Amino acid sequence: MVRLPKAPTQRIDREREIVFNYKGKPMKGLEGDTIATALFAEGVRIFSRSMKYHRPRGLYNLDGYSSHCLMGVDGEPNVRACRTPLRQGMVVKPQNVIGSPEWDLMSVMQWFGFAMPVGFYYKVFHKPAWLWKFVEPVIRRAAGFGVVDPTMPDGIYENRYLNAEVCIVGGGPAGMRAALEAARSGVRVILLETKDQLGGALNYRTVPVNGGAPAFLHSAQLAGEVLACENIRVLLSTSATAIYQSNQVTAVQRGGPGDHFRECYYEIRAKSVVAATGAIERPLIFQNNDMPGIMQGSCAHQLANTYAIKPGSRAVVSGFHDGMLEVAVDLAELGVEIAAVADGRPSGFDTAAIDRLSRLGIPFFRGCAVSSAGGFRCISRATLQPLGDGKPLRFDCDLLVTSAGETPLSQLLQVAGAKMAYDSHSARFLPVELPPCIHAAGRVMALDDIAAIEAQGRLAALAALEDCGLDVGVEMKAAGEALEVLSRPKPGLGIVRTSGKGHKRFVCFDDDVTVDQIADAIEEGFDQAELVKRYTTAGTGPSQSYLAGQNLPLVVGALKGLGPGAVMPTTIRPPIFPTGMAVLGGRRHAPVKHTPLHDRQKAVGGAMRLAGVWKRARFFENEQAISEIENVRKNVGFIDVSTLGKFRLFGPDALKLLQRVYAGDMSTVAHGKLKYGAMCNEQGVIIDDGVVTQMGENDYFFTTSTVRAANTGEWLSFHSRGEDWRTSLVNLTDAMAGINLAGPGAREVLSRLTGGDLSNEAFPYMGIRRMTLCGEIEVLVMRLGFVGELCYEIHALSSYGPALHDAILDAGKSFGIKPFGLEAQSVLRLEKGHVIIGLDTDNHSTLHDIGMSWAWDRRKTDAKTVGAPALRATEKQAHRQKLVGFKMNNPRETPADGSIVVAAGVVKGRVCSSRYSTTLGQSIGMALVDPELAAMGGALEIYTDGKLVKGRLPAVATVKAEIVPTPFYDPEGLRMKS
Amino acid sequence: MSFLIDCPHCGPRNIYEFRFGGEVKPRPDENRVTDEEWADYIYLADNVCGPQNEWWFHTRGCGCWFAVTRDTRTNLPVICEEKA
Repeated sequence: MVRLPKAPTQRIDREREIVFNYKGKPMKGLEGDTIATALFAEGVRIFSRSMKYHRPRGLYNLDGYSSHCLMGVDGEPNVRACRTPLRQGMVVKPQNVIGSPEWDLMSVMQWFGFAMPVGFYYKVFHKPAWLWKFVEPVIRRAAGFGVVDPTMPDGIYENRYLNAEVCIVGGGPAGMRAALEAARSGVRVILLETKDQLGGALNYRTVPVNGGAPAFLHSAQLAGEVLACENIRVLLSTSATAIYQSNQVTAVQRGGPGDHFRECYYEIRAKSVVAATGAIERPLIFQNNDMPGIMQGSCAHQLANTYAIKPGSRAVVSGFHDGMLEVAVDLAELGVEIAAVADGRPSGFDTAAIDRLSRLGIPFFRGCAVSSAGGFRCISRATLQPLGDGKPLRFDCDLLVTSAGETPLSQLLQVAGAKMAYDSHSARFLPVELPPCIHAAGRVMALDDIAAIEAQGRLAALAALEDCGLDVGVEMKAAGEALEVLSRPKPGLGIVRTSGKGHKRFVCFDDDVTVDQIADAIEEGFDQAELVKRYTTAGTGPSQSYLAGQNLPLVVGALKGLGPGAVMPTTIRPPIFPTGMAVLGGRRHAPVKHTPLHDRQKAVGGAMRLAGVWKRARFFENEQAISEIENVRKNVGFIDVSTLGKFRLFGPDALKLLQRVYAGDMSTVAHGKLKYGAMCNEQGVIIDDGVVTQMGENDYFFTTSTVRAANTGEWLSFHSRGEDWRTSLVNLTDAMAGINLAGPGAREVLSRLTGGDLSNEAFPYMGIRRMTLCGEIEVLVMRLGFVGELCYEIHALSSYGPALHDAILDAGKSFGIKPFGLEAQSVLRLEKGHVIIGLDTDNHSTLHDIGMSWAWDRRKTDAKTVGAPALRATEKQAHRQKLVGFKMNNPRETPADGSIVVAAGVVKGRVCSSRYSTTLGQSIGMALVDPELAAMGGALEIYTDGKLVKGRLPAVATVKAEIVPTPFYDPEGLRMKS
Repeated sequence: MSFLIDCPHCGPRNIYEFRFGGEVKPRPDENRVTDEEWADYIYLADNVCGPQNEWWFHTRGCGCWFAVTRDTRTNLPVICEEKA
């Protein structure tokens, strides 16, 4: 289609063509077009099919408030084509059709409307019951919107958290004026605008402002001032989705060509918020009001003035506010033949517009509105009728511009907690009783004079500054008086339906809900707006409350014979703008921690797997890690234990704190010696274990398990709250690398690195020494025995970690040293019966339950030890599950971790960990079982899932085990103490 | 949930920087407490409808525990005792 001649309101670049693909065919648009305007310019008139009846739907709204233009774009479903900028090479597809929007096989559905009464999901196809099975897939196929394309390319989604004194939502005249006024005081202002340009409706209007410059020039000037202002942060293409408590404004921004993200989610914390969200047109309800060729005034206005597209060749305009007269004049001057202009109001018109209409020779009908439209697929005729009674007038036309008046975009204020009330003067539901620190200005408050809108924006900004603690009383008084003298809201007409009749008068376009269906719903007893909404699904579709929301309460009220305002709009809930899950998720972060030895471990063959927040070597040769295990038992191996929690606690009250959090008596901790310590919570449940030692006077060093490292600081400070103890805790976890050198050959390997005396007498089991390895690596060496052999746990500063790793590998070469991983360690410690907290214990396991009562010292009652009262209370409880060791009757059978222990078909416990031990030639494990099964030598029956036999699960498969004492291996501990 | 907590060290911050630590209540004297009283202390919360004194930990901030009074009906006002 040839575009209209150049005009200053237009924002297309005629020199830059954009080629895109629609329905598999190449099409052309211009830079500045949205997808919908480019399609319209290319002659596309049917944009989609409705959800239920598959009726053709055309371009209705250009601001993203209708579902008429939902399309699949580059694999993303439900994109609003009307507001999405056109880009080179876009692939655009229609949705919910078989064939095309023009020739949709599903369109037969509209002839079966009688079979789909209101609430038909609940009523039909249910009897006989077998019928639903066949009908459901058909309905599901027919209904619905876009389909997710799993091959859609991934994009970057951002989350940003901003702070400001004043946040203004809406970049029209009210919002821009408010931003400038607020910014004058120097505070930080954030201005959100849903379109990609400031100005709002002013951008496509040509009327003079205050008898001066035309609206579009006025808005360009305001926008220039706003953008030049350093303390106003303008976020374009950004739609506010809610205001939450304490003025948290959330919003979603669509990335443009200069942005690195596809979408960005904002959480903006502001001291005060100004909502200048504007208004949209309320749809007029008449027969066939959904046909292609019928559009809102703002839609026709923008097509012509912004995109230089003739919205039709012969038009009928039917409205209830001055804006529609303005549209009619503008269209006529651009060469659209206007067959008739109707205004439902009896009086109160903009006289200048009426004069211009009569000068252009356009017939004007006061007190009239369109009562029906007709045509094959697209509109070809419209009937005007007086609102009372009177003779219908028929006009041939291919464009029908309609509106029932303006309706404020109050959704944001509603979710913030504003009350709504019906204002019979302007015939609108308006926000009243705004929450504290939230203000509103402009068309959302029913103003329509541009000067008054700006004056209210200024007043709202001053009120916002007052919230921020600024003294602006004098300015506010002046601004309030200035607003008083400007024009008040114009009277409106709370029109519900026009005079016509018919079964296709749609209240909700998304879900094909008609006036008749709402009447049926009320007849059936669903006579409240909220009930009607749920029963008929009106207003639950993609356009939510925007188009149906204000008409629904008016229709329900009228059908019940009540006046406007007797029925209030349904509740608005966030997000008020469709928000994808991806943008809420934000960037795909998968943060993992690497130990200082990570690269070294990988280089020697470590299979690095995620273990909590860490990447750790799971195994080196194969998943069973048999050779790693054998090497530790017979020779010497080493494992990276850098992830262990390591802490220094010092200060005059350090011992008091240790006594508080450790179950045992820490006053006996001595220099050069390690003491095993267990931490419990107030329920007496073991949550952590490690070793404690004293490094100097009031200076302690202790280790925790890997998983507790992050919580230890929080735990210690929580349990010393209220005490004025002087202690300092230093988390050394990430500052130190650790290697556990284990096996009968460990002493020889270590002796290659140090000249110190490593004999069992000089450095015995549970001893700790400072040493210097290779003449320069300062280390702490602890003799422990987690894996049950002679072990040296060596800790060095992280930066020395790789050097320590190299030194140990080098020193152990002639002894056949091999690294071992977590799987090997897990089997080795199981053979020793050492528990892993959280694996062999759960949220109920006290020290008593796992046979570690010895780790609790009952005498230190003055310490107020965490968990001590619970340990005392649970000590004698007979019903508690016990941790037992078992060996399998069939030595090669190994139940999976977590398998259920049963007795006579009743669950009696679970297997915590179980492995085949090559050392013992026997499957062993530990289980938490009910006390009656816990006797030594007792039999356990363990349920295993079993393998599928010919695709079926076998009948309950259990395996047998016998309870045996632990440790399974080296019960006297001679090896680790050697 | 989008309310703010006024941390004594960091000032007003978003709620999700903090971890809840339960109601503020005195720990019974363990030399005198019965098992029932101890179980009450551990497991039973008052769950008042109105202003409640409770512990919060600033996980993603200063790493300190402090007590605040929060109105459980409105989450407002959230006052930090230590600051007041």
